[in-house]
Parts: sequence; structure tokens; C-alpha cells
Amino acid sequence: MNIKTKLNRMKGHLQLDKGLKETKFSNQQQAPEVEETVADDELTLKWSQLGFKPYVYEDQLSYEKRYTVPFDRMGKTNLQKELFEVKELWKKSDLDHPLSSKEVPLNRMLFFDTETTGLSSGAGNSIFLIGYARIVEEGVEITQHILKDPSSEAAFLYRFLLDFQEDDYLVSYNGKAFDWPQVKTRHTFVRNQVPRLPSFGHIDLLHAARRLWKHELPSCRLSIVEKEKLGINRGLDTPGSMAPILYFDYIHDKDPNHLKGIIEHNDQDVRSLVSLYVILTKRLFFSEGVKMSTMEHVQIGNWFEQTKAINMAKDHYIKAIDNGGNGREEAYFKLAVLEKKDNNVMVAKELFLKCISVGTLPKIEAMIELAKIAEHHEKDLEAAYEISRKAMGNLKKSARLTASSKRIVQDVEKRLLRLEKKMMK
Amino acid sequence: MFGKKSLTELISQLKSDPNVTHWHEIEEQPASIVPYPKNMDNRIKTALGKREIHGLYTHQSSAFEAVLNNENIVAVTPTASGKTFCYNLPVIQRHINRPNSRALYIFPTKALAQDQKSEINEFIDDMDVNINSYTYDGDTPANIRQVVRKAGHIVITNPDMLHSSVLPHHTKWISLFENLETVVIDELHTYRGVFGSHVANVIRRLKRICKYYGSNPTFICTSATIANPLELTEELIGEKARLIDNNGAPKGKKHFVLYNPPIVNKQLNVRKSSTKVVNEIAATFLKEKIQTIVFSRSRVSVEIILSHLQELVKKDLNRKSIRGYRGGYLPNQRREIERNLRNGETIGVVSTNALELGVDIGQLQVCVMNGYPGSIASSWQQAGRAGRRMDESIVIMVANSNPLDQYLFQHPEFFFEGSPETARLNKDNLIILVDHLKCAAYELPFERGETFDGTEIEEILYYLAEERVLHEQRNKWYWMNDAFPAHNISLRSAAQENVIIIDQSHVEKHRVIGEMDTFSAMTLLHDEAIYLHEGVQYQVEYLDWDEKKAYVREVDVEYFTDANLAVQLKVLDIDKEKQLGTSLLEYGDMMVTAMATIFKKLKLETFENIGSGPIHLPEQELHTNGIALSFSSDEITNMREDVVEQMLMGLAHVLQHVACVRVMCDKNDLHAVPEVKAIHSEKPTVFLYDRYPGGIGLSDTVYKQIDVILHDAIDFIDRCTCSEGCPSCIGIAGAYSDFEREVSVKKIILSSLNSIIKHKATTL
Repeated sequence: MNIKTKLNRMKGHLQLDKGLKETKFSNQQQAPEVEETVADDELTLKWSQLGFKPYVYEDQLSYEKRYTVPFDRMGKTNLQKELFEVKELWKKSDLDHPLSSKEVPLNRMLFFDTETTGLSSGAGNSIFLIGYARIVEEGVEITQHILKDPSSEAAFLYRFLLDFQEDDYLVSYNGKAFDWPQVKTRHTFVRNQVPRLPSFGHIDLLHAARRLWKHELPSCRLSIVEKEKLGINRGLDTPGSMAPILYFDYIHDKDPNHLKGIIEHNDQDVRSLVSLYVILTKRLFFSEGVKMSTMEHVQIGNWFEQTKAINMAKDHYIKAIDNGGNGREEAYFKLAVLEKKDNNVMVAKELFLKCISVGTLPKIEAMIELAKIAEHHEKDLEAAYEISRKAMGNLKKSARLTASSKRIVQDVEKRLLRLEKKMMK
Repeated sequence: MFGKKSLTELISQLKSDPNVTHWHEIEEQPASIVPYPKNMDNRIKTALGKREIHGLYTHQSSAFEAVLNNENIVAVTPTASGKTFCYNLPVIQRHINRPNSRALYIFPTKALAQDQKSEINEFIDDMDVNINSYTYDGDTPANIRQVVRKAGHIVITNPDMLHSSVLPHHTKWISLFENLETVVIDELHTYRGVFGSHVANVIRRLKRICKYYGSNPTFICTSATIANPLELTEELIGEKARLIDNNGAPKGKKHFVLYNPPIVNKQLNVRKSSTKVVNEIAATFLKEKIQTIVFSRSRVSVEIILSHLQELVKKDLNRKSIRGYRGGYLPNQRREIERNLRNGETIGVVSTNALELGVDIGQLQVCVMNGYPGSIASSWQQAGRAGRRMDESIVIMVANSNPLDQYLFQHPEFFFEGSPETARLNKDNLIILVDHLKCAAYELPFERGETFDGTEIEEILYYLAEERVLHEQRNKWYWMNDAFPAHNISLRSAAQENVIIIDQSHVEKHRVIGEMDTFSAMTLLHDEAIYLHEGVQYQVEYLDWDEKKAYVREVDVEYFTDANLAVQLKVLDIDKEKQLGTSLLEYGDMMVTAMATIFKKLKLETFENIGSGPIHLPEQELHTNGIALSFSSDEITNMREDVVEQMLMGLAHVLQHVACVRVMCDKNDLHAVPEVKAIHSEKPTVFLYDRYPGGIGLSDTVYKQIDVILHDAIDFIDRCTCSEGCPSCIGIAGAYSDFEREVSVKKIILSSLNSIIKHKATTL
């Protein structure tokens, strides 16, 4: 690469900046700290080699990099098409779902991640890198802000807030518990110097990933989800856990190259969030070309059930039953319960029976449900008694009784007693 | 009614007991009540009226007026004198004056915080005001925490929580810190020594955060009786304060009895076990169904007494009516016991000092203490558990054989003529200070020229920057580390690791029988040591030094072990010195190195050496403050070396005990070492030093109070009934300066102490 051309291009920014700075200082009575200015120039030059431009706010500097990755360079074929597809899916649906972006224009979604100087959430933990991806016409625009040094926090957050609009929507990975509260903490320190922190909508994809894959993946860390579900292998990635040390080295040596790896890491993180949002949405809506496991269907069904989208839940349970394999028993049971609630008792009964037949050990809860149906709907006390007794037998076989299974045992015992009494009459 | 008569009978019965060495009666005192302060809101008066209260005790009224006048106060009042009104009333009034105002209550323990919350909430419910009070501690669920942070007008917490949770996350507590008007510190006297030094720094951090958010709270402290409540308050909060001690609460008649168990071994001056005596005394009251509380120092002894008492009264009462109470019980269990004590279902409770603090357990009639609780303040707090509500009550303290107890029993005036104890803390202990500077820098960057509540810290900040913990930029020091400093700093146990003693006599049931500080463990718990516990012999089978565990087994042997600890004191720097006759007293920085070398097995009756062995333990090092008392009179320099050695040993023993009483500390906090030829002066010297890295101000106090301490020492030895020295006074029995056994070491010690004092008198 031609470094000279690069440097020449940067030069303009440096001079521009210097100019700004000088006018600023010239307003003041006191002379500026000369040494610091010189040092800043050197540092700015080094940052420009990594693609970061300086911005001045009050007497502080902040560095920022912004560039657009064309859709075809995002490592996922048809990303643009898929994004529009996802957008349409939400637009058409009237589900009140945590992942929904129905009201949000595509270019207002901010796929967002930060790097910090520690994992604690206290006042001494600083954010030194904020990165986010936006969908623009030509592709995905990636913006990264760097905290030049701890005394430049106002400029850092100011530049970031300048870029934000009230109707922006955050998409993050664990941002609800970590990144955003941390942004709030940092904002508190400079709240008199920078604009107010707007209250954004926020979609946390970690919650979604946990829902879908916690049984399947060893952990739901982004790197693992990327590898298993997005097919991204980071190779020689700098792990996020190195971030604090690398930033301290940078502060000490004033050499931005220490942070090169972590900047790339953050860049990849926000890109992955875009793809992750796409594949999660497509799974919710059974989009074509998406292969899903039975367990995924069951988990999504569960999630829809909790968000009161019963029909969507049923669809996923049915799909899970069709798929077969691990998770089918659960799907039968869940579907049966829903049918029973809808008063389709006989359909429910069929499903409960199926549920019992597919499991290696018959599911106790299903047996109890069958007993209830026999007792209350079919008025067949003997059948109810018979199945309750079987359930009891199975319960006794399972060696360890937890608190919840103890409660079930008591329930079944009560049921048996009651049935006996009824039959005596 | 039957119970009451019986108490009077039992009291007169006890009066004729020959082992009672002192009987003190505290006369009843009527209440001293003044009308409500003028600026008190009517709603408060109404709420008080509902409780049949129509005026304030004098001290409550003074507190109210001072706080509303923005003065910091410390209220010193005995148990059950209505001290909670000293802070609750002004806090509520301030809320009425400015509904946005906040208050922070700091209690030393979680249990106390819970107790206080229900009390203040009951009171608020009686008024028509919108005050939210919440506890905030480790048990507070996450979803409640947010509410507390945003909407808590009164936040009730403990210093540990303030240190590790509230201050490091101050940005989440903006509404508290912006509007903080009052900080309440209850049980102030507990904040002394290492713990107090830590807490004083936490307060510095608190004030720094308040300043950042623009608030400047008033401090309301309450304390049990100590000699220097005002001084301690001002040290702790770093500000001037006003002392409020015009107690106006009524008191019932109280008998305070000192009971010294009979001597069972004359030669060694050993007395009957106090635990046994306590059992007997407590049982006599419990049999009459008189509510009794027994205090014992260790958790183990609580359990022992408890099982005895339950056995003794099993025919008369059901076992549940006598309960234990100590740390280690679950909170729910504790609450249940407290409730049962209040409603009278439980008539007897055996407790460690856990019940000493103001947890409300209602009215008890008898308090029995197994040994001196370690400080006068604790003694009075424990005694306050009996007769809280104006009835006649009795407090019986039963002495142990140990020198401290015996000393105090010779000097009952210590208890009854004001309090001689001084509570100390040293918030500028370098180690503690640096720890908290880290926390403070984490919370908020330091600016150049900024002090830590008055203490210059720039040098430390430079040092921390060099260590790359902080980073200096544009005249500010920023936290530059990925750690969360508060997590690595414990306010209570710092550097005070103890060795746990585990009895494995019964294979199926190993049990912990006690613990010991590491320094003492080197000589008492090394492999093969014979360890005495509650009069039972144990042999140490294995000392796991890394894990700090000693495994012992019960044995029955006719010898004991005596280990040789090579302690070396290097005086690093002398800060102050004074001449006392021919003796010199110095105070300064010291380095203590200790290494256990060998141990001897000595036959019980004859002290005959019947074997020995090596001890393999690493050398321990301690950098601290201490005093050195060195002798250069001809009388002493002309003595044989072994006599000088014995004399110094005896002196060290006495001075340590007497000094511990004066400076209000545990025996383990202030150590004494005799050296026949000290390295720094080449003279016979006794050292006393703080057993905590960096020192916590104990030996400094000893330096300042040396005259009284020397007087105390003379008095103590003089009054001991032994003729030639005994384990209770000088620590060694029957030592003489010559073969003719004419002059005992006891006499030599006395005369050397006297010569210092006398000289002092003439120079003055």
C-alpha cells in the first residue's frame, strides 16, 4: 500500500483540526499546553494510519472511523435481500414480540457494541470503544468512536450522541445488562457537558440466543453462536477479554497499534449482530431456506406462547412434531395443553397419548393430564384411576425426588384418594 | 408475680455467697422530660402522642435541636434510652421541611438494619407523610434494589455494603447523593481498630462522592459509653461534632455483681471453670422461670453452656425455651429467637456478643457473663440487656482465671467509676489508606491538589500511577485497571487470617473447636503441640499452614509443650521518645520477624524437660508501630542475664494485659516482646507493638498514657494474692533472682516499675 498517499490524505484532516484548535485556544487568555498539542498531533497521525479522524469538542479530542461495507462484502450472500425480507416480515405481522422491529425503519437500527476497561459495572469501569453498524443504501455503515484518553470522555460521548437520533433503535448482545447501563454510568460523569441521553428502544439478541440455543450450545457467547449458527470463524481474533490490558498499554505508550486487534474484534461483533438478527427473525417466521432443529421449534414455540402469540406457537410445535427427534415429546405435550385450553379436549387427548408413546419414560405430567380428561370430561373414573396409578408407579421408579416432583407425588396421591372415594359411591 | 418475688429472694441468697467479690447497686433514676421542641412538626407530635409520649427525654430534645441546626452530633446513651428517636425524629422533620431530602443509615450488622427498618416504618405509618425507608444489603433482591436507589428516602445499610456496592456504583444513586442531608452512624463504638480505620476511610469516600454531587450531609452518631466518644466521632467523620450525653431516660434499680469462682489449685492460682459456675448460676434463675441471658465469648462455649443448661432444666421446661444465639445461625432462626424472647416464650438465651448490639429482644431480668467481655463498653452493653424497662434486675459477671479478668476483679472501680477505655482508629494507616485511595480513584478521578478529606495524598497517587494502577492525564489521576478494587478489600478481616482448630477425635464427626491468630498458632498449634481447650488436652496431629487448619485429637498425657519463638524486633525509625528516670521510652516504626524454632515437652508437675523437637514453619514478618521501654539502671544491668530475662518476661506479660485494658483492644491486637539486649539500644527492653501491618494506633496510645499504665501495672502485681508471682500476674511462678530464693522476680519487677514512677514524680 502507498503509505505516502495515505498520509497525504490525512494531512488535510490534521491541519483542519489544528486550525480549529488554534482558534479555540486563541480565545483564551492562557497559552495552551504546548507539549500536549504536539503530542496530540503525533497521536492523531498514528490514529489516522488506522483510519480514525480526530474531532474536537471543547478542549478535548475524540477519534472516529466511519466507512461503508458493500453488502456483497459482508460475508453473507444476499444480505441486502434478506434484510428487506426480515423487514417485511415484521411489518406484516402484528406480533408484540421482543425481536420486533415493526415500527423501526431499517436505517434507524443500530447494531451496537462497546469495549471497556473492565468487566465490573462500577464507576471506575470506562468505555473506550463504541462501535455500531447501520444499514444504508450501499451497504452496512460501520462507525467506531475511540476514547483518546480518560480526560477526553466528554468529546468521546459527545461525538457518539451527535450521531444518534431519538427514534434510533439499539440492537445489541447483552447490551441491556451490560453495555447500555455502562453508557449511562459514563454519561453521568459528563452530563453537564453533553446532550441528554435519549431513551432508545433496545433489542437484546443475547436473550433471543439463550431462548433458542441454551440447551444446544455449550454457552451463548457471541463467538460460539457465530461459529455454530452463522458459520463465521474468527481465526486469529483478539479476544474481548484482552481489551482492558490493550487499552492500558495504549494509554501508556500512546501507540494506537495496541488497539488494532480489538478494533477489528469490535468491527466483527457489530457485523455479526446484523446477520444474527436476520437469521433469528427468519427462524421465528419459518422463512424459506432456513433449516431448523426440532428443539429450536419447541423453544421458539415456548417463546411465542409467553408473548401470547398462541397460533405462532402452535405452528412451531406442529413443525417440531413433523421434524421428529429430540424435542418431539415436549412439542406434543405443549401443543396438547394449548388445545385443551382451546377446549379441543379430544384433540388434546390424542396428543397427550402421543406424547406418552414417544418418550422412553412416559411423561408424568401428560399422564396426569390424561387422568384429568378421563375424570372430568369422559367421566370414566376407572380409566382415570388406572392411569393415575401408572403415573404413581413411574414416579416411584424415578429414584431422586426433587421438591417439585414431591409436590407431584402429593397431587397424584390426592387424586387417587379422591377417585377411590368417588368409585365407592 | 411469683417470678418477681423469687428474683428478690435469689438476689438476697446470692448476697451471702462468699465468692461474690463485689456488689454494686445502681439506683433507679426518674425520667427527665422536656416539652417538644418548637420547630417540631405537629404530625410528629401526634404520632408520638399515639404512643403515649408527650415530651422528649432531654437527650432526644438536644439531639433534635442540634441536628436541625446542622450540627454533627454524637449521642452517648445507655441501652433502652430511646436513642433511635435521636436520629429518627430529626430525619423525619428534615423530610417534612424538604420532601426530597434523603438520609443514609449505617448499622454495623444486617440484623440491626432490619430491626431499625421495622421500627421506623411503624412510626412513619402512624404519620401522614410519604417517606420510603428500605434496607439495602446483600439480601436485597435485584428488582428491589432499583427502587431503593431511586426512591429510598431513608436507605439503611452497613459499612461493607456502602464500601463494596453503593459507592463504587454511585452513578446509580444520583438522587440519594444529590439530596443526602443526614448520615446516621449507629453503634459508633464498634468502629475502632482495624475495622474502624477502614470505615473512617469509607466515610472519607462517602463525603467525596457527596461533594461531587453537591451535598453536605450532617452526621448523627450514637455510641455506647466509651472514654472518648467525641474524639472517635471526629476521627471517623473527619468533622467537628457535638457531644450529647444528657441522658433523660429513666433507669430501674440494677445490681451488678462480680463473682470470682473459688480457687481449686492454690499453687498455680487456678480457679474453678467459669463456664461451670455460669451454668449453675443461670440454672438457678431459669428454674424459677426468670428470663435470663448468658453471654459467652466464643461460639464454642455458647454451645457448651447451652447444652448444659438445656440438660439442667429439661425436667422443668421444654428445651425450646432455652435457645442459643450466635453468628452462624440463619437470619430466620435469629428473628424467631428474638420474637420468642420478646413474647416470653423463650426464657433463656445463651449468646455471643451478637446480641450485644441493639437488636430488640425486650426485657430480661438477669444477665450472666462468662468472663469479662473484653471491654468495659461491651460489659455495659451486655449488662444493659437486663432490666431494660425500669424493673429491678441483676447482672452477674463471672471471672475467668486469666490475668485480665483477675485484674479487673481487683479493680471493680473500672466498671463503676466512669469508663477508662479509649477507642482508637488510625485512618492513615498506609495500607488501609492506599486500599481506599484505590477505591476512591475508581469512583472518581483525583485532581491535582485534591486531598483525601484533608490528608495529603499526592505522593501515593504518583506511586499508584507508577505501578500503572492509575494514569495521570491533564492534572487528574484516572483509574486504569480492569479490577474492581472494593472486592479485594474486606473491612473486617484484612490480613488477620486465623488458623481453624479441628478436632478429629471422632472419625465420623470432625468439628471445629476454635481458632487462633497465625502468630500464636506458630507456637501453640505446631505439629505435636499439646493444645489445651476448655481444660481438655489435645495433640496437634497436623498443622496445614497453607490452608490455615490445625487437626487435633483428644489425648491424656502428663506433659505440656512449650515452643520457642525467635522474635526479633528491628526499630526502623524513632518518632518520639521520653526519658523516664533511667529508663527510656521510644515510639516508632518497627519490623517484627518471628520464627518458631523448637519445642520442649515439659512434665506437668515438675516442669522437667522430657523431650523436644523441631518446628518447621516459615518466618513471619510484620511491619508496624510499637514502643520500646528500655532499662539502664545499675540495679538491672548488674543482674544475672537469666534473671533479667525472667524479669522482662514478667514485665511484658503484665504490661500487655494492663495496656490492653487501657487502650480497649483484644489481647491479640497488642503484642509484647521482651529482649535482654535489644538490637537498637543494646539494653534490656520490653516492646509492645500493634499486631496489624502499619499499626492501628494502639501503641501510640500506650506511649501517651504510659504513666497510668505503669501505675496500673504496679497496682495489679501488688494486689495479686500470690507471694512469689503466679500465672495470673507476672505469668511465671516461683522465679527468684538468687539461689537463696530471697528476692523474687515479682519483687524486682515491682521495684523497677516503682523506680520509673518515682523518678517521674520527682522530675515533675
